[in-house]
This record gives sequence, structure tokens and C-alpha cells, in this order.
Amino acid sequence: MIAVKHLHKSFRVHVRQARWIDAVRHLWRRQYRTVEAVKDISFTIETGEIVGFLGPNGAGKTTTMKMLAGLLYPTSGEITVGGFVPFEQKPEFKKMMSLVMGQKSQLIWDIPPMETFLVNKAIYDIDDRTFRRTLEELVELLELQPLLTKPTRSLSLGQRMRCELAAALLHRPAILFLDEPTIGLDVHTQEKVRRFIAEYNREYQTTILLTSHYMGDVTALCDRVMIINHGMLIYDGELSVLTETLAPYKRLEIHFPIVPSVPWDDYGEVVAMEDGKVTLRVPRDKVAEVSAHVLQHFHVHDLTIQDPPMEEVITRAFQEGLHGS
Amino acid sequence: MGRYWRIFREFFRACFVEELEYRSEFLSNLLSSFFGIGIAILTVKIFFYQTDQLGGWTYADVLVLLGVFNTLRGLIDFALRPNMPRLLEHIRKGTLDYILTKPVDSMFYVSFRHLMFWRLIDVLLGLGVIGYGLVQQHYMPSLLDVAMFVISIGSSFVLIYALWMMLMTTSFWVIRIDDLSFIFDSFFETARFPSGMYRGWLRIILTYVLPAAVITNMPALSLLGRWNVVTTAVSVGIAGFFLWLSHRFWRFALRSYTSASS
Repeated sequence: MIAVKHLHKSFRVHVRQARWIDAVRHLWRRQYRTVEAVKDISFTIETGEIVGFLGPNGAGKTTTMKMLAGLLYPTSGEITVGGFVPFEQKPEFKKMMSLVMGQKSQLIWDIPPMETFLVNKAIYDIDDRTFRRTLEELVELLELQPLLTKPTRSLSLGQRMRCELAAALLHRPAILFLDEPTIGLDVHTQEKVRRFIAEYNREYQTTILLTSHYMGDVTALCDRVMIINHGMLIYDGELSVLTETLAPYKRLEIHFPIVPSVPWDDYGEVVAMEDGKVTLRVPRDKVAEVSAHVLQHFHVHDLTIQDPPMEEVITRAFQEGLHGS
Repeated sequence: MGRYWRIFREFFRACFVEELEYRSEFLSNLLSSFFGIGIAILTVKIFFYQTDQLGGWTYADVLVLLGVFNTLRGLIDFALRPNMPRLLEHIRKGTLDYILTKPVDSMFYVSFRHLMFWRLIDVLLGLGVIGYGLVQQHYMPSLLDVAMFVISIGSSFVLIYALWMMLMTTSFWVIRIDDLSFIFDSFFETARFPSGMYRGWLRIILTYVLPAAVITNMPALSLLGRWNVVTTAVSVGIAGFFLWLSHRFWRFALRSYTSASS
């Protein structure tokens, strides 16, 4: 569905110093610096996949996504999306994809979302019957009914994001680019949006590329992740493999009536020691052994085994660097 | 083409709803439009207290010209003025992103998405003044005159659009804070008068270099039955050429779009 080969994008930005004399000098002599936002990225994505695109701010995620959507002109390299070259901006291409940005809105601010839907209906040339059916379905899935007739400016961020999703999906795109769709939303709404995306993907086999700062989005939705840093792709593969290679540990939380005083360091690295609770970091291959031992020898209330938090894993990936999968 | 017409109607509808949301000051706009055209007529009248001809045009001729000017300005204020300065905003804030994902020509979208429908009052008033001028002149335009008028005012509009569009398209490279519309405004203001009024180098510039005068003079002359097939054809050709050029330029400029990052 999506194939990217040796993609590069560089921007020319002018350098500006803070002193006002420099600002004046800047009027007639500008200094430019070339910034390579994306360096030699290659990957393919199959139909129906949900892929998470991770990386710190300014890593090149959004730039890559915008090139895939045909907004930015690549400096070099090849992109095909659904058989099209995005920057040629063929109407057929645009009809098969959609873009949702958490930071920018396509809804018309002063009037109800329904008006934006109608404008999109005309733009995408959707016939009345299909439009009504699709809208009905989206309204139900996203619980939009009470929002349709309220001016957009009076909606909450979460409500607006749900409407954004509906506006982007009216023409039933085969490819959906989501750029931080849950940014700024409360936990409950984030959960709602995630559930919707997962459901929608299952139902229509929509190919989805998602960037996010929230690990929750990625762990809930994506089997496959791509990690990008300084414009380079440093990991492309399964999320579970990433966790295993980068964090060959599990978290063991043991609850006791009274914490026995034994040298816990022998069992694993002690992360926290509280009243009635010990948290250990134990190598994966020793988890079974350690937990069996603990259960056998001590009086235990409860014992849980968890994967380390994604944040920790990703941070490690950036620090240590990774090549391939 | 039919599809674009449908989209245009949808834009119009959405803008109408948007305006109603604020119940825009319809009445005050109506009043100011009336007042504006009244003053303009008065000015012309004052000129003609001193003379009966202005650059070869009689009082009634100049009224027709004024009507054409007002009509054209109404059309510009209706469709172009609300959109052209917005382009800068789109580029600066990166909102062009969504426009570029739509399966319509992006230049069409940025040019006509926002319409100020109450500006059509100026178009109506302009047509009224044209009618009044024709009555004063005791001239009943033939169908052919009207056709020539429609063609030449159409190509004037297209030419203005293309030039303004090209001017605004430069903002892909030079992202300014203020917009360039004022350059256009002062240029268009010269179209209020008969080109014969201007002398020497000014006349040459306003006829050939920045053909503001020609833009209104030709439609007015057409309506008064003084059209010329060759000049009309040339103006259509020029307008078409500039429209094509502005579109090419737009496509070229999109390559330099950097999309304000989020």
C-alpha cells in the first residue's frame, strides 16, 4: 500500500541571531542553513496495517507523514502510496486518503460540524445516499448526534476531535494518516478515540499510519512501530520484539502483609520498597524462577508481573541506538 | 466544470450560514455601499460642472464607466478580497495542509472558499449606475453590445484574479506579516477614470504595463456600442494566458511549501 525508498527532505532555514543589530543586518543579508529533516528512510506498509510512528519532537515523523500525504515535496527518494506518487496530487489519490492532525482543525470554526461535512460531501463528490449512510454510521460510532448542530467553537477538544475524525472519514479513505490524534485529550476521551480507530481499522481494513507522543496510543493500536530519530529510521518491527530486545526485564510487584527483611537484591534489582510492597526488576528468563521462589518461601498477598512501561523502552532506544530489528 | 460549480455553491452556502451566525451588519453595509456610490457620482458631477468632456468621455459615458468600476469591484470584494490575504495565513500557520489533501484544485479552493456575499450589493448598485448612465445617454445596447460587455468584464476579472494570485503566491518564499493587497488596491483605483484622462508616460503605463484603465474602460465602451472585436479577443487571450501562468506558478510554488510544523 505504501512504499518508501531512500526518502530525503531538507529545508533551508535562515539563521537569525537574537541581537537587534543582527536583525537589522538580516534585512539585506540572510544567512541560510540547510536542515536535513529526513535522511534516507525506506519502508513498506501493507494494506490494513496500523503502524505507529514514534520519535521525539523534531525527529521527522510529521515531515515524513506530510510527504506521504503529498503536502511536501521530497528532496529526493521515491514514494508510492496506493499506486500514486503523492506530490503529483492527483484527485484519485486524494480521494483514497485522509489526514487528521491533532493540532490543526479542518472544521469551520463558527458554524456546526454538519456544515463542514456538507462541504466535504461536495468536495469529495459523495452522492446523497452514500453520504447519509456513512454519516449515520460515523455518528453512531463516535456518538456525534448531540454535537452536529452546535457551533464548532463551542465544542470541547475531545468533541471536536471526534468530529474531525468523522469529517476525515466521510469519503471512506483506504489510507488514514493520523498525526497526534489524541494530543491534549483527557484519558477517557483518548481511550474512546483509540477504540474507534481500532474498530474502524478492523471493519474496513483501512491502512493507518499514526504518530503519537502517547505510548498508550501505540501499545493499544499498533503491532508494528517505526522509531525515527534525527531524521533516521532506527527501528522498524514488532512492538513486542522491541520490548524484548530493549527491555529484557519484567516488573515484579509483590504485596505482603509485612515485608520480610531479606536481601532482595539477590532476587533482582529493587525499583521501590514501600510499606507492604516490593517492586523488582527481574531479567525475563529468571521471572518464573524468582516468582516461584517468592511464593514458596514467603507469605504473599499478591504478585503481579508486568512489562516495563513503554516510555522507558523508547527512551532506552534513543539513548542506546538501534539498527534494524 | 459542473463539479466545481457545485463546490462553489457549497462554499457559498457555508459562508451564508457563517455570516448568519453573526448576523453580519447587513444594514450598515448596505448604507455604506449606497453612500460610497453616491459620493462617486457626485465627484463625477462636480467634474462636469467645469467641462462637458473628460478624456473624450461625456458625463453619461463616465457614469457607465463608474458603474462598471463598481460592478467589478463588487465582484472582487465578493470573491477575491476575502481569500487572497488568507493565503498568507494559510502558509504561515500551515493550514494549507488540509486544503492540499482535498481532491479539488488547490488554487481554486484557496481562491473561492470564503465569499462575502453581501458585497454583491455593490455589483447590483454598479449595474444600476450603468443602467442610469445608459438612460442618460439615450442608448439602448444591442444584444451584441451586452455580449461583448460580458466577455470583456469577464476577462478583466480573470486578469485581475491572475495578477493578484501571482502576487500572493510569492508568499511561499517571502512569508510576510502584512499582506500585499494594498499594492493591488492602489493599482485598481486608477481604473475609476477614463484612460484618456491620463497623459504622457502615466497613460502609457496604465494602458500597457499595468492595464488598470483598460480593465474598466473596455467593458464600458462595449456596452456603449464602441467595441472592437480585435481588442476584445486580445484581452480574452491575455486573460487566459495569465490565468494559465498563475496556475503554473502556483504549482511550482507548492514545491517550496514547508508547512508550519505542528
